[in-house]
Amino acid sequence: MNQPEENDPIDVLLREQNTHVENNGFTTRVLAALPPRRRMWLRPVVLLGAAAIGSALASRWLPWENLSPFDLAALPSLNSQVLLPWLLVLSVAASLAWAVTAAVQGED
Amino acid sequence: MSFTDADLIARVLAREDQHAFGELVRRYQSPVRGFLGRMTRGDTHLADDLAQETFLKAWRKLHTYRGSARFSTWLFGIAYNEFRTVARQSKELAVEDIEQPLAEPAKSAAGSRSDLRLDLTEALKELHSGERAAIVLCCQNGLTHEEAAQVLDCPLGTVKTHVLRGKEKLKRRLFGYQDYESA
Repeated sequence: MNQPEENDPIDVLLREQNTHVENNGFTTRVLAALPPRRRMWLRPVVLLGAAAIGSALASRWLPWENLSPFDLAALPSLNSQVLLPWLLVLSVAASLAWAVTAAVQGED
Repeated sequence: MSFTDADLIARVLAREDQHAFGELVRRYQSPVRGFLGRMTRGDTHLADDLAQETFLKAWRKLHTYRGSARFSTWLFGIAYNEFRTVARQSKELAVEDIEQPLAEPAKSAAGSRSDLRLDLTEALKELHSGERAAIVLCCQNGLTHEEAAQVLDCPLGTVKTHVLRGKEKLKRRLFGYQDYESA
């Protein structure tokens, strides 16, 4: 460590000379020179908008009528007629959930 | 309620909060401008321009600040780089790197304390830029030798040598003042 020597006259003088510099508008000048803020609100708005549109389209176009009650017993047989509509619904739901979460948390 | 530097930095990074950044500028404008004032040998206009550029650069590069050093140390580092960039292009600032003998020691034993302060200011201007930076950072702004080495981007031993040599030169220059002897 290099604590200034309390009794060294040079250290005493140097400390005395370290006076406060008055702001005199310096902070205002710096803030005025900052680049314009990015539109931080744009990203969540776009994500939530896309999620809303996606929900509307999903409710209109997904094959709800083919959505049979989910049967775990059908899983091993890999019956595409049962699984495909569910996969479609789940993937759309997961995408919407991701969009909403990203918009709220502001994460990628 | 007073926010810590870390709180303010987090707000700037999360929301580009200019009020938070303004608070950081208010906290550190004095040491940064004082340091650059010394480095530019009292050219306050140039020092303020460099200080403004320092804070603008800090705004742009804040995401690279990792918090391992004090925020002031990080700022001093940017400020010193700004000074070096300008010094490389300025004959007036560059001549300092030519070794010059210091002016004659003060002769008047009865010199007043204000004379002593003026002489110290002048003596600081005559130091090599590395010595001056090390003295101002360590003796005036309270940085450790390690922190100063980080700011000046040089080995720890070099900083210690700069401080020792710089203080020796200042002592020789101020020898003779009664006030200095009794300070």
